[in-house]
Amino acid sequence: MNIEQTLKDAEQFLAPWCKETFHPEVNRLDVAIQVDDLRAAVGALLAARWGYLSAVTGTDLGIEVGQLEALYHFCNGPAITSLRIHLPRESDACLPSIADIIPSASFFERELQEMLGFAFSGSKVSERLFLPDDWPEKVYPLRADFSIEQAAPVAGRRADELPEQGVVGGNTFVIPIGPQHPALKEPGHFEFTVDGEIVTAAKMRLGYAHRGIEKAAESRNWIQNLYLFERICGICSHTHAMAYSLGVEKLAQVEAPPRAQAIRELIAGLERVHSHLLWLGVAAHEAGFDTLFMYSWRDRETVMNLLEQITGNRVNYSANVLGGVKCDIGAEQAKAVKEGLTYLETRIRHYLEVVTTDAMFLNRTRGIGTISRDEAEKFGLLGPTARASGLSRDVRLEAPYGAYHHFPVSLVMETNGDLEARCVVRLKELLVSCFTMRTIVDNLPEGPLTTRMPRKIPAGETVSRIEAPRGELFYYIKSKGGENPARVHIRTPSLCNWVSVLEKAVGHQLADVPMLIAGMDPCFSCNDRVVTVNRPSTNETWSWKQLREYGIEFYKR
Amino acid sequence: MKIGTMLKDIVASFFKKTSTQLYPFEKTRAPERYRGNLFYDPSACTGCCLCVKDCPSKAIELVTLDRAAKRFVLKYHMDQCIYCGQCAVNCKFKCMGMTSQDWEHAALNKKEFTVYYGKDEDIKQLLENVSKPAAEPVDKPIG
Repeated sequence: MNIEQTLKDAEQFLAPWCKETFHPEVNRLDVAIQVDDLRAAVGALLAARWGYLSAVTGTDLGIEVGQLEALYHFCNGPAITSLRIHLPRESDACLPSIADIIPSASFFERELQEMLGFAFSGSKVSERLFLPDDWPEKVYPLRADFSIEQAAPVAGRRADELPEQGVVGGNTFVIPIGPQHPALKEPGHFEFTVDGEIVTAAKMRLGYAHRGIEKAAESRNWIQNLYLFERICGICSHTHAMAYSLGVEKLAQVEAPPRAQAIRELIAGLERVHSHLLWLGVAAHEAGFDTLFMYSWRDRETVMNLLEQITGNRVNYSANVLGGVKCDIGAEQAKAVKEGLTYLETRIRHYLEVVTTDAMFLNRTRGIGTISRDEAEKFGLLGPTARASGLSRDVRLEAPYGAYHHFPVSLVMETNGDLEARCVVRLKELLVSCFTMRTIVDNLPEGPLTTRMPRKIPAGETVSRIEAPRGELFYYIKSKGGENPARVHIRTPSLCNWVSVLEKAVGHQLADVPMLIAGMDPCFSCNDRVVTVNRPSTNETWSWKQLREYGIEFYKR
Repeated sequence: MKIGTMLKDIVASFFKKTSTQLYPFEKTRAPERYRGNLFYDPSACTGCCLCVKDCPSKAIELVTLDRAAKRFVLKYHMDQCIYCGQCAVNCKFKCMGMTSQDWEHAALNKKEFTVYYGKDEDIKQLLENVSKPAAEPVDKPIG
């Protein structure tokens, strides 16, 4: 089915509520609807099984306009339908919550609620997900009129209290895990209600590594932002830079030369190998299989060295520039890549055998955290986590971007949906990646590495989706024609995949929880993008100014 | 289901060299493209300041003492630099780049991380001007 037909279908389904339609891009349909019609419109798309809710973008259109804008992006293959809703800025108007129909929407809604001050009727959660507990009420960091002075911490909120724990009633306990915990490699806070050893409810809290990158982007120019976004995640840095570059190039109506596109795909492939091997090590470590952890990380050095040799750095490769890439693949690099891949392929095959035969490891993975295909679709899972449940979600195949038209990858899918399937999917994916990378190195198109990019990007908005190692990465970029972006919204794959942990922990033993968390390959820095410090021991709350001064003094020494 | 699937790897490792290195006694040479410290050659510079404009971390400042006589001093904050190499991409006259040799950055105080590049007499003049703020002000960078 072609894109036009798919979009026409969507237009037809949404016809009863549609006020206006636009086509901002060839593959996008933009439908303006009334606030009250949101639930009905979303329901119609779901009933017709038209795509999945990929992200919800909130934008403050400014004080002059006096409106907030919410965009519900549904993706179906390469086609994207966005439901556009405008709300007055200063009023109690609220959006109807859709979290009961689409579970992953609850994270999107909470982001909008905390960052932009949208209200949601029918939403059950009132606790914060991203912002610190002592963040003042009614201060929204992504609003146009926000200033850092407003963010002075307020004492007396939950941060001063201990996390909820202890006996709740009968045999039920609440066990807090994190933000600092030996089982977690990165900061996140979970509260698991347990009955004996069995988990009966799960709750989570993010934002411990939130750096306010979306806000920071608005004050930097297009080129500076490339490096800012690259630093969202140290593991999939190239994917972020690539998604941003592709989006900005689309807005500027410039296309990077074929050779640059192929090199981008090659580096993305190498990054996937490094990311999945890192994950394999972490998962093995959580399962108590440290031998596998040590060996997989030793082999990961091969790909790290390749990346260093090609791009000039082990992490944050900075291989992209707007309109192309910096680094070329010469004969020397091509030879090194092929040799490295040959070694890695034999190792990956060996690990595949280990994770599917080792009795100890299988006890921790087989039949644990099973997600059926229907559940995966309902939760809106992405990437390898979805593909392990038989849900074929891969942007590289559904909506090929960059060089993926010329150097396609094949789909890797498992149907069991348990932790073992997630290991197998990731390892098989690496073999596919290795094959594709070899093809790229052998058939690298000739030509220049960069094209000219304007400094000012024409006004417009675009959506750039690419497949990161953890799943679909979603960038919404809006330009007003200046040297800085007007708004960049980033939805990272980990945010969607959290639902799988929260829903699936229930009914499992508490000891399985670290494995379940590791099973979706969570990336906390992906989720969190100012934070104030509170020292409960002294009962003294520091103001932003004090904290800043303390920090400056500390580092002067 | 098997037990000890990785025993072979372990046994084989007894007869192999260690994967780790005794740094700093043993060192691997950084690859040619490695992005270490920034270097700057004032003779080719025209003072266009495109490098300063796009620096994501504001790590470089270009001080123009005399544009016609090509007297520039580049103040480089090594501790702010994120080693992305965008300045080198922006420079049309190839007067800056990243070296692969100098990458071991550790010092006992932060002063050592501010580096001045330029002719010796220019740097001297700049530093003298900084120490006496009442004196003739230095031209601000353009751009």
